[in-house]
Amino acid sequence: MTWALAALGILALSIGLSALIVGSRRRQRQLENLLATTERKLEQLQRQFERFVPADVVERLTDERDAFAPEHRQVTMLFADLRGFTALCDRLDPAVTVNILNEYFSHMNRAIARHHGHVTEFVGDGLLALFGALEPNPWQARDAVQAALDMRAELARYNDTLSARGLPELRFGIGIHGGEVVTGVIGTAGLSKFSVTGDPINVASRVEGLTAKYQVDLLITEEVRRAIDDGFRLRAMPPSHVKGKTETIQTYFVESVAGHHH
Amino acid sequence: MALLLNEIIWGEPLLPIVQDPAWEAEVRRRSGHVSEVDLRVAPSHWLREAAQAATGFHPSVISERLCRIGNMVTAQENACRYCYGANRAYMKVLGYSEAFIQSVERDVQAAEADERERAFIAFCRNLARSRPRPSRAARDSLLGLGYTQAEVTEMAFVIASCCFYNRVSTLIACPPERKFESMANGPVGRLLGLAGSLLRLFGFGKGRAQAEAPIDAASLSAGRFGAILTPLANLPAARFMKSALDGAFESEVLDRTAKGLMFAVIARTLNSPLCESEAAKLLAGEGVGSAEVESALSTLHSSRLRPSESGLLSWARDTVYYETPEIQRKTGALAAGLDNATLLEAIGVAALANATVRFAMLLE
Repeated sequence: MTWALAALGILALSIGLSALIVGSRRRQRQLENLLATTERKLEQLQRQFERFVPADVVERLTDERDAFAPEHRQVTMLFADLRGFTALCDRLDPAVTVNILNEYFSHMNRAIARHHGHVTEFVGDGLLALFGALEPNPWQARDAVQAALDMRAELARYNDTLSARGLPELRFGIGIHGGEVVTGVIGTAGLSKFSVTGDPINVASRVEGLTAKYQVDLLITEEVRRAIDDGFRLRAMPPSHVKGKTETIQTYFVESVAGHHH
Repeated sequence: MALLLNEIIWGEPLLPIVQDPAWEAEVRRRSGHVSEVDLRVAPSHWLREAAQAATGFHPSVISERLCRIGNMVTAQENACRYCYGANRAYMKVLGYSEAFIQSVERDVQAAEADERERAFIAFCRNLARSRPRPSRAARDSLLGLGYTQAEVTEMAFVIASCCFYNRVSTLIACPPERKFESMANGPVGRLLGLAGSLLRLFGFGKGRAQAEAPIDAASLSAGRFGAILTPLANLPAARFMKSALDGAFESEVLDRTAKGLMFAVIARTLNSPLCESEAAKLLAGEGVGSAEVESALSTLHSSRLRPSESGLLSWARDTVYYETPEIQRKTGALAAGLDNATLLEAIGVAALANATVRFAMLLE
């Protein structure tokens, strides 16, 4: 009788333990599935996020080891703006307008990335690209000027395809300036981006504005001229007053790469 | 985030296979398999030896497991289709589970990996990417987790040598070892994986460091880039680095000044004053003064380079951070003006400079 009770007890214990183990394994599997699903979603989210923010920035924002702390940094800024595009928009179908703009940005982005820059924002038909913002770059001024020349060549190629499609050609103005700015993730908790702030960015924007005044497509400041080697053919423009500056700004039109390079 | 294997865009090879039966027999004797890289680097004696030494390297203080993981993670970070595929396949043959490999490559918290291993993986990604360059704190955190100085040094070497091999394969656009990859993912691979797991379980492969005599600190210090190589004293890695650097600088395919300038450019790109000053010392020995070095560094041009090599410094700088299709396109453009021997030498030197500078970061 005692033996039978003991056997029954052991049996009940075994059944109880087995149920516990099975239950625990099921929960573990559920947790593993949940983890795998969450990982897939996060990965997908990160890849989608890269459509809106440069991949390098996404990488650093999602890496808990990389604080991405705000800092003072020497950065070269390139502003590009399409000339007369707003008037063009009024004449074209909105879908065609957006398509032209997207293709244009795609061409420009490629040219900028080829020369170690990254586009930090598109505003209307304009863009801002930074050189040396994500990591120190001793050749940032040279990179920015080469990127701008590459953008000029890309635009010429793109204009050929627009003409072939019976669409109007595009023209742009580019202003390049360099200086010390504050880099960091700027904005509110709801909407923020990696960008730069400081007086040099205003100067770059004003210089881009001067391209319309001088009827040229690519201007650099004296600071950029000093930082690049003699590998570019430059033409000095008359000093000009710009909004927010008491002194005049000396700019140079970049004609081409000087003959002895490449 | 780092790309997965099937996401890497890979171009057509930029250098041909060169038949060298004696070399192929030698490689077969050493490792049993002649790879696509072995066949394409065959004309350069120092580079083919360095490539062989990198693939045949066995660590002496860190585990084979860390070495394998480090190789795959670094190849993935460098978006090297050739090395990533080969290392992934090799891990399967050695018996690592697909789930574990996926957790490493997707950079998720692998249940099989402990805190120390995860810290190592993070260090690999950090040093391979160098964007931003790894801080002293990253290295100190490894020491804080109980790794010894020698282990951290060997880890950095594993990542650096992998950066070397990744660049050789990527810049050549070496065709992936697809046969090996299919075998590793098929029934034969699963059988080998089972055997590999058992062998690892019984400790086979531990302590299989190279048999050559170690090189002491004094010998390393007296040689090229001595200040960088000294921490490798008495580790098998020292022989790899010393032989490769000596071989590269003794080769006469590219001028020694061109090679020194390439090293200096890559050091400056990665912001390594130590490596830049070692390169400057070497250039001073060739009669290139500091002002001339500075001019070449700021303009990425030097009158000492032959006209066909004028794009060399700019291209060397591009081999530090790159998108794979873009660097292969740029290497193709460089190739248009160079003969195959010079292009191969340039690829080897750029790859070695990237490895040396990344290793130098450990000391700064």
